[in-house]
Amino acid sequence: MDPKDEKRLERVFEEIATYEAIIQMLEENPTDLSHLHLPLARNVLRQHKRTVECIEKGEPLAASYFTNAPEIFTAMDIHWFHLIAQSFGGGMENPHMMEDLEGVDRLAVASDVCTLLRLGLYYLDAGVLPRPTMIIPLLEPCDGVIGLHEALRRHREWRDIPAFAPDPPYHGDKRSIGYYADELRRLVSFLEEQTGKRLDMDRLREVTEETNRQYALWAEYNELRRSVPCPHNHVLAMACFALVQTAGSGDPAHTLWYQALIEDGEKRVREANPETPNQKIRMLWYDVQPIWFNDLAPWMEQEWGVCVVLCMFSYAPYTMIDTSSEKALFEGLAKRNLIDPPMVRQARGVADNFLSDIERIVRDYKIDCVVVPGHMGHKDGSASISLMREKCRDIDVPFLYIGCDQFDRRYTTIDEIKDKLSQFFETMELG
Amino acid sequence: MESGIQSKAFETLSDAAGTLANPSVEEWKEGGGKVLGYFCSSMPEEIMTAAGLLPFRMRATGSTDTELSDAYLSSINCSFTRHCLNAALSGALDFLDGLIVPNSCDNVRRIYDHWIRLMRTPFVQMISLPRKAGDAQVTWFREELATLMARMEEHFGVDISEARLWEAIRLHNETRRLLRRLYDLRKAVAPPITGAETLAVTVAGTAMPKAAYNRLLSELLDDLAGHDGHTDYRARLMVMGGELDDPGYLEVIEGQGALVVTDSLCFGSRIFWKNVDEGVDDPLTALARFYVADRPSCPRVFGQYEQRAAFVREMIRDFHVDGVILERLAFCDLWGFEQFTIKNDFQDWGIPLMMLDREYALSATGQLRTRVQAFLETIGEGGNGPEG
Repeated sequence: MDPKDEKRLERVFEEIATYEAIIQMLEENPTDLSHLHLPLARNVLRQHKRTVECIEKGEPLAASYFTNAPEIFTAMDIHWFHLIAQSFGGGMENPHMMEDLEGVDRLAVASDVCTLLRLGLYYLDAGVLPRPTMIIPLLEPCDGVIGLHEALRRHREWRDIPAFAPDPPYHGDKRSIGYYADELRRLVSFLEEQTGKRLDMDRLREVTEETNRQYALWAEYNELRRSVPCPHNHVLAMACFALVQTAGSGDPAHTLWYQALIEDGEKRVREANPETPNQKIRMLWYDVQPIWFNDLAPWMEQEWGVCVVLCMFSYAPYTMIDTSSEKALFEGLAKRNLIDPPMVRQARGVADNFLSDIERIVRDYKIDCVVVPGHMGHKDGSASISLMREKCRDIDVPFLYIGCDQFDRRYTTIDEIKDKLSQFFETMELG
Repeated sequence: MESGIQSKAFETLSDAAGTLANPSVEEWKEGGGKVLGYFCSSMPEEIMTAAGLLPFRMRATGSTDTELSDAYLSSINCSFTRHCLNAALSGALDFLDGLIVPNSCDNVRRIYDHWIRLMRTPFVQMISLPRKAGDAQVTWFREELATLMARMEEHFGVDISEARLWEAIRLHNETRRLLRRLYDLRKAVAPPITGAETLAVTVAGTAMPKAAYNRLLSELLDDLAGHDGHTDYRARLMVMGGELDDPGYLEVIEGQGALVVTDSLCFGSRIFWKNVDEGVDDPLTALARFYVADRPSCPRVFGQYEQRAAFVREMIRDFHVDGVILERLAFCDLWGFEQFTIKNDFQDWGIPLMMLDREYALSATGQLRTRVQAFLETIGEGGNGPEG
């Protein structure tokens, strides 16, 4: 392998080694949740190995995102990696984070710009991102992603790589969905041109029908999370998102995972045996789960009896896609990627999208408090805080805004966050 | 840099830029006219003019604090939007009969959410501005403009015919031609107008009827024709970046011995460097193409960096620029990333660049002076100044 490519893959190799160790550990020391954790770890491993294989064999490789209609990539057998996933590789904190953040601080990008996105640029600048054969940038849900991708596209390492980004309209009406469906068709044309592969509509239908089953099972599982106590903590809830919206979306093996998750959840509800015992506070964590969540969530569970019932990514408002015609299929994919997905759903359009979700989740999931961590990069979210607070006041649920950096624990320390949460729980007489 | 312009027209324009409800706006309202506010230079003023309305580009000139809007927007939102919402809440924008808000950036689009809840402006329209500049985006934006036009016709009881649209396009293109003539004067070794004065002129044009503005511009050009130019500068600078409507900011820069000779600003050259194409059949398509694809873009438009860079290089060459200041409102993510690429490219091109973050209301002028002085030192003797 080209030494440059070896360097570019160095973090991927590290993650492969980490996941192989995790899998070995889970296999040798099974727990009552190993059957659910193992497929997740194996999936990450499989995707990473496929990335390496694409580089080694010179096969098409896309740098892309969730919400770029992953079903299309699966149907065309085009592998892709998540462009900014290194900082939260497979749901774990990147062990190089401190040195990476110091590298980010040296970039000529203002420090008030989202740290996650600055990390993405840093990885390319530092030469530790796999070199794709095409870039599928994201132009939603915030300004930062547009800025990042223009900078990536023009970076001297990547400026010769072709790029196509679907353009997301602001509105969410039928015309907007039709427009975005056309953008997805243009994405297909771009992929065909770049790879020489043709999209087989029957294959896209097959993949989408499989993801339909998976989304339906996810929704069914989330019904179980309405139970008091909630059957699982925040980890498996988040994993539901990962399997349908990452590379390999539509894999029938994932369907079996959702079925197993439901079976485990049902059993726990039936036997009153939740993963997190002594639940006293049902929380909606209304944003991404930060990379330092593993340092906070167990503390919240043990000290206060918190169960994070849902976060922004584990809520499942997806609608099934009608696969009966090509038009319906593309419009369904447009809706699934423009209107339904987390962050894009809330942050792309009107602020009411935040509010209606809060109201529905609080009501449906018997939420005791809404906590908005308030990532420093989420300018649209921070401009909506007063509206969220007002909504929570109207529906009579305690609301806390923290103010933090979900990727840089130096911004607001874990201890400060714990203090804020403790004061909040005490003041609101929760727990 | 001392202003030496002896021009009644300039005084009128400068006054209009220095206030919100300027005399032109007041006169318009007294005559029964309606004023339609809009955010972002990508909103077609031509449609408003064709509807018989006065387009007013949103700003918060004179605002010194954000105590009213701080309850709604946070400290990590850009100060331009916080000051604008504050101005609205304080009543300083009560003369508006309507408002058009595009999804131009994360901060501005949230203004819409608060505005419809807090203000009683009778007509508020959100418009979806594409993030790319292809044909599909032009078609999309044309439809958006058609919807906007239909709603304006219904709400304001006006008829925006094709003929009126073409008339407005011609009027606004005349504005653009006059402004380019003004900028042409700045290419000279001794430009007759400073950067701060020019910004006052361009800002004024977003807050008064275009016909009257064009008359004032023509007068100003006549007045400047016999005017001695500035020769007492150390370096010729270009200012580029995001929202900047305060000539006072450029006065501080020019106060250190620089002369700002051109810009790439959305209150400056980016709004008039090209004309709307008058040679096509459909005026709405012409407008959509101009605002989405033809005019110099800002970093919110993906895939256009090459065009933006070419525009900047053309400016640098034609205006004999010695150095460039990239100003950015703190918390602007779009310009935040653009800084990275620009910095690298400027290094490659060998053009001196200074990047400045700022707040909307002019502050920390001591620091600004020091930075500009240091920058001028780095440009040194090699510049295009009269002695350079």
